[in-house]
Amino acid sequence: MKLSLQWLQRYVNLSAKSVQQIEEALTLIGFEVEGVEHKGLPVLENVQVGEVVEFQKHPNADKLRLCKVKTHPNEEPRTIVCGASNFAAGDRVIVALPGAALPTKDGNPFHIKISKIRGQESLGMMCSASELGLAETSDGILILTTRPEVGTSINSVFSGNDTIFDIEVTPNRPDCLSHLGMARELAAYFDLPLTPPQTPHTCEISGNPLLSSVDLQTATCPLYYAFSICGVKIAESPAWLKDALQAVGLRPINNVVDATNYILHECGQPLHAFDAGKIRGGKLIVRQAAEGEKITTLDGKVRELTAKMAVIADAERPLVIAGVMGSLDAEVDANTTDIVLEAAWFVPSDIRWTSRRLALSSDSAYRFERGVDAHATESAALRCVKIILETAGGAVSGNKLQQGQLPQTPTPITVQPSFFREYCGFGPDDATVQAVLARLSLSIQPTSNGWLVTPPPYRRDLERPVDLVEEFLRIYGTDRIPESDVVNRGIHRKDAPIAVFNSLAANLLQSKRFNECVHYSLRDGKEIEQWFGAELASALKLTNPLASDQSHLRPSLIPGLLDALRHNRSHGNDVRALFETGRVFRKRPTDEGSLWELASVACVLLPQTDSRHWLQREKPDLFTMKGLMIELLETAGVHIENPIFEPLHETSLWQERHSAQTGDITQEGYEINLGTLNLRMLKAWGLEMPVLAGELLITPAFFDKNRSRVKFQPYGTQPASVRDLALIVDRWQPAESVRGELDGFARKAVGSAFSVESVDIFDLYEGTGLPEGKKSLALSMKFRASDRTLKDEEVNTVFETIQKLIAAESTYIVRK
Amino acid sequence: MQDQLNALVAEAQTNAHALAVRADFESFKARFVGPNGSLTQAMKGMGTLPKEQKPVVGKLINEAKQKLEAIFATCLAIIEEKEMAQRLGNPVDPSLASPDAPSGTRHPLAQMREEIVSIFRKIGFTIAEGSEVETEWHVFDALNTKPDHPARDLQDTYYFPDRDWVNVKAHADERYLLRTHTSSVQIRTLLAEKPPLRIISPGRCFRRDTVDATHSSNFHQVEGLYIDKKVTVKDLKAVLDYFFRELLGPDAKTRFRPHFFPYTEPSFEVDFHSAHLAKLGKQWVEIMGCGMVDPEVFKNVGYDPEQWSGFAFGMGIERIAMIVYGIDDIRYFYQNDLRFLRQF
Repeated sequence: MKLSLQWLQRYVNLSAKSVQQIEEALTLIGFEVEGVEHKGLPVLENVQVGEVVEFQKHPNADKLRLCKVKTHPNEEPRTIVCGASNFAAGDRVIVALPGAALPTKDGNPFHIKISKIRGQESLGMMCSASELGLAETSDGILILTTRPEVGTSINSVFSGNDTIFDIEVTPNRPDCLSHLGMARELAAYFDLPLTPPQTPHTCEISGNPLLSSVDLQTATCPLYYAFSICGVKIAESPAWLKDALQAVGLRPINNVVDATNYILHECGQPLHAFDAGKIRGGKLIVRQAAEGEKITTLDGKVRELTAKMAVIADAERPLVIAGVMGSLDAEVDANTTDIVLEAAWFVPSDIRWTSRRLALSSDSAYRFERGVDAHATESAALRCVKIILETAGGAVSGNKLQQGQLPQTPTPITVQPSFFREYCGFGPDDATVQAVLARLSLSIQPTSNGWLVTPPPYRRDLERPVDLVEEFLRIYGTDRIPESDVVNRGIHRKDAPIAVFNSLAANLLQSKRFNECVHYSLRDGKEIEQWFGAELASALKLTNPLASDQSHLRPSLIPGLLDALRHNRSHGNDVRALFETGRVFRKRPTDEGSLWELASVACVLLPQTDSRHWLQREKPDLFTMKGLMIELLETAGVHIENPIFEPLHETSLWQERHSAQTGDITQEGYEINLGTLNLRMLKAWGLEMPVLAGELLITPAFFDKNRSRVKFQPYGTQPASVRDLALIVDRWQPAESVRGELDGFARKAVGSAFSVESVDIFDLYEGTGLPEGKKSLALSMKFRASDRTLKDEEVNTVFETIQKLIAAESTYIVRK
Repeated sequence: MQDQLNALVAEAQTNAHALAVRADFESFKARFVGPNGSLTQAMKGMGTLPKEQKPVVGKLINEAKQKLEAIFATCLAIIEEKEMAQRLGNPVDPSLASPDAPSGTRHPLAQMREEIVSIFRKIGFTIAEGSEVETEWHVFDALNTKPDHPARDLQDTYYFPDRDWVNVKAHADERYLLRTHTSSVQIRTLLAEKPPLRIISPGRCFRRDTVDATHSSNFHQVEGLYIDKKVTVKDLKAVLDYFFRELLGPDAKTRFRPHFFPYTEPSFEVDFHSAHLAKLGKQWVEIMGCGMVDPEVFKNVGYDPEQWSGFAFGMGIERIAMIVYGIDDIRYFYQNDLRFLRQF
């Protein structure tokens, strides 16, 4: 909201305060100052009217003049050297005397001093309009054709200077959406007297009202006044009125409309003037709009109304969208002679709804939707009538028509004086609190039950003791809240495990030379459809997306990481390994239609990069990614020695036969997908290269499980015995199943004699020497007894039994 | 005998330095001390000597043996040296760059988040997490936001069509949306846990803004909540002063500007002052919102506002990172250019 300092000064005398002090005050009482703009001439000391008595050419410079200028009626003329030549003797000019500081564009004032110019002393400067900031450019010095008295201060010659504050008024303070409202606040803060505008209690009346009746039919309008004025002469507003409106950025229209706008910005009461001649049927009806009813608002647009909106209508048509905007149909124009002035109070939420629904905001709607002080509505209207009569002539015709009732005044608040100290934590005494609240016109009545505090009618935001604490602090000064040390009691609570995990996972990946990325959660629906299918894409669509590339929630972090790969590659950055942690959104596999939010860690890794090095390292592969993802799983608290990975099938994200999956998100609460991304899809993405990726998905509930402390397991000191064998198996048989089976045979063969500590695959061979479609796996079995060193014979016996079991119970062939 | 032994030692001496590999050395050694070696033979010959000569010859043989062993040891040391050198390969040029990728990086937003969180951890706050998909009650109603508050508009908040989010529990049958602040975590924590509470909730939030230099469809916040008996405005200031001094240095100057939030009363915005920013023509920069928890919020989550009081605060991680690191466009955070990521 724009606030004119000159306008404020009509209600509170701020002349002793600098602009900076006022700006700071506004900020500290809760009105953020978004801009300060100076209009006209700033206050300038030692700059005044002078008269050129005579001049001659500067003895040492052709283009300079040596002038005698009288700057004070009782003083001798002073010598001033001037470079301009557009003046004559006898001209009245503006002189900046030594000590003056002229404004400049860069903000650093230009100080005028006694100086010597080409050997001649100059005791001041004759100013051009641009030097005073009165014009962008100027030719020569400013000649004052109005011939003000010599010695007059420049600020008296060029009045009309003003400072405009652009402030933010929070939604709880509708009472501050006017100059009077803000003057009240500043008067309270600076502890200065407030002089509200004079309002006549009545006005002289002749004749009858212009309307037969006002018919109030809707609850949206609890209170309505209509004043009739006859014989106005529509014209341009006087200068003071135009200046005031222009100062706050309004365009003057005519004396009647300007008067209503003036009152709106003076005391926050929106008013509406009708051309009485255009009201058909001689009455106004305040009613709900008919569904689909049309009105052409003052901005020239045809608006279609709904039955939830209220209008002010005549007998035939709607003339105003209640509280929001008038129509062209009853507009005051140059030919208007009789007017009806509406002063009303509307229910804030109804006006807000209408304004939103029509996407039509106005100064009126802005105030009505936040709450106008109904108790000041009538006096605002009377003030407006007074201004109209003064500026447009005419006479009040008949009594005002009034419908509806005033709302209740705010309820008094009972509060203990000590509450202020208890809530603030420091000790202003009762008298201090009382004095501060009184500055805000809060009346305090001590009772046996504490204080009974009655807010003024315009402070409907004050309902509870805590609201009063805020008022106290605002005016007392938040800078007076004392500093103190943090004093805490210990609280038994652990960090959310998911946050701990994310941090550990990120640090792990950072240590593996991955770069952490952060991408938007919202992505393009088409892309999700391509990677994850139409069903998931449609499930993740927002109701009200703003942009087509941010219309859906992400089901995976991987597409974002591919964006980063592509971005960095196209910018010539040597990108190799990226990761991200964050929330992703999926369909829950088990039940139809339901969605859930999952935590995820994902990474991408390029097996080959463009960067060349004098030394080649081994390239990462699927198993690099597998190792990494298992480490992440460990970090999440899942300790499985060799989790079983199954190949991924039928996915457009992953490359078949080069990708795998483990875990079950519904059963176990986690899932890992990893491998090479689908090469065809990557190509379409602009990445013509294999990309390894891995993603871990975790349900937040996964971490809710109670984790018991580790219990130490004692281990023996006896040596282990190892036996190796190689098995020829089908090429597509997962190695892990072979290992698992052999592990079973080994346990069966050992029985309870001793234990099988591990069965591991240590070699894989495919190629010549093997039957078609077969591969050879070399496995190593480790045996140990807890109580003795195993003898070769007993291990050999077991080894033979294992081979017999293989021959008897599996299709594997032991490779000799 | 002595000559014979001297010759033997001389032979070993002469030929030893020519030995380069271990196998040659072993056979060379065997020539002297192996089962058929010349020294072994000499020792065997001792038996045939008359008794009185035995000590003399024995001494000579011993001397020869010691000399040979010294020769062998020197020789072996040289061979081992060579072997080790071979194993190591050519000498290295340490000025060559490591071919390994440069070290990994944490994202500046993550670093800033962890820094903020770690400051509050020191004064007893612990992390609380919530979901990004939320419900209207938890984001607005519980926080005392009026039903027709503009923040709830479709214009400002992202909503979902009527769908079932299994791990985001609704209060009744209100709408699902993307949380506009992490205050919903406060509500869920207040409902699930018991006071006293001191939590910090970092997380991602969403507002329906067109992306530009200062706006982003999602951004990150850290919010804090402190609930105990008889908590005061002074306590709020003490905690925040501690935080700002930790984050911005002991000279950090802040001011509390009264403001309005539906969920706190009184409410403040906190500005911070920095000489660095003054150069840019701005004296005070808004950095956080805070206030005393509104009694209505306590009532909404079933706490007695007569018994419990507290404060809450919230700040944007992007905003703080931009101020601290001097970043002028929020989009840098989401572009993930390595030239950006590697700077922090």
